[in-house]
Amino acid sequence: MKTEIDARGKACPEPVILAKKALETHDVVVITVSDEAAMQNVRRLAEGLGCSVTVERRGAEATLSISRQAGAGRGAVECCTGELKPSGPMVVVVASDVMGRGDDELGRVLMRSFLHTLTEASEKPDVIIFFNTGVRLAVNGSDVLADLAALSGAGTKILVCGTCLGFFELKDQLGAGVISNMYDISEAMFGAGKLVQV
Amino acid sequence: MTAAGWCVLLFDSVSQVLLAEKVLKQAALGHKVIPVPRQISSDCGVCIRFDPAERDRVVEALAGKVEVREICFV
Repeated sequence: MKTEIDARGKACPEPVILAKKALETHDVVVITVSDEAAMQNVRRLAEGLGCSVTVERRGAEATLSISRQAGAGRGAVECCTGELKPSGPMVVVVASDVMGRGDDELGRVLMRSFLHTLTEASEKPDVIIFFNTGVRLAVNGSDVLADLAALSGAGTKILVCGTCLGFFELKDQLGAGVISNMYDISEAMFGAGKLVQV
Repeated sequence: MTAAGWCVLLFDSVSQVLLAEKVLKQAALGHKVIPVPRQISSDCGVCIRFDPAERDRVVEALAGKVEVREICFV
């Protein structure tokens, strides 16, 4: 069964919710969205569910054709990497651009210092999530972009809260990772074998 | 990056690290604030890493502005 959804103008995570619901009852879902973040989020959802996705862009709009493949799960989204280690992925949550409460200047130094140690750690995080003021660390001009690039190159998935980027008007300034939504973020957190909040 | 390793500047306090960082930024000298490597001890805990090839320029930029406790090769 096939269904078509017009999700143009709908703010995240609504397009993701609509696509997810439709995929519970249809084998083919064609959804049109009107911005890049929605396109990426819907595509990640579909790929996470093991579906095949083709994207057709027209300017800012994109139409995603999502096909459920034989054997793909119906409903629950796999944990974001889809490749769980026996103990589950290690997830680091960065909820602020400062480490600890008290003095922000000190907190910024500590955060930079901490992210540097991650690049040298033998066990690197599988996922790092940035939200609230933490997203400032992942945008252009951040002092830690080189560290995030190194982590990304070593296989760490970097999720940056799109709502937060939007709030701080930084959506076009992303310098590391991918724009993400609360579904990906909460699923990564719930699916973690080890969760570290900075 | 250099195959020869890195130099680190050690200071007595975090405030001095921050001050030194401002000076190095103004002088457009490449550097990175990192935790003090385990093999070195320091009360302050953070230090500034830089390329040994830049040593003279770094020392010159900081002279008279920030008191450096020690420069180490790591």
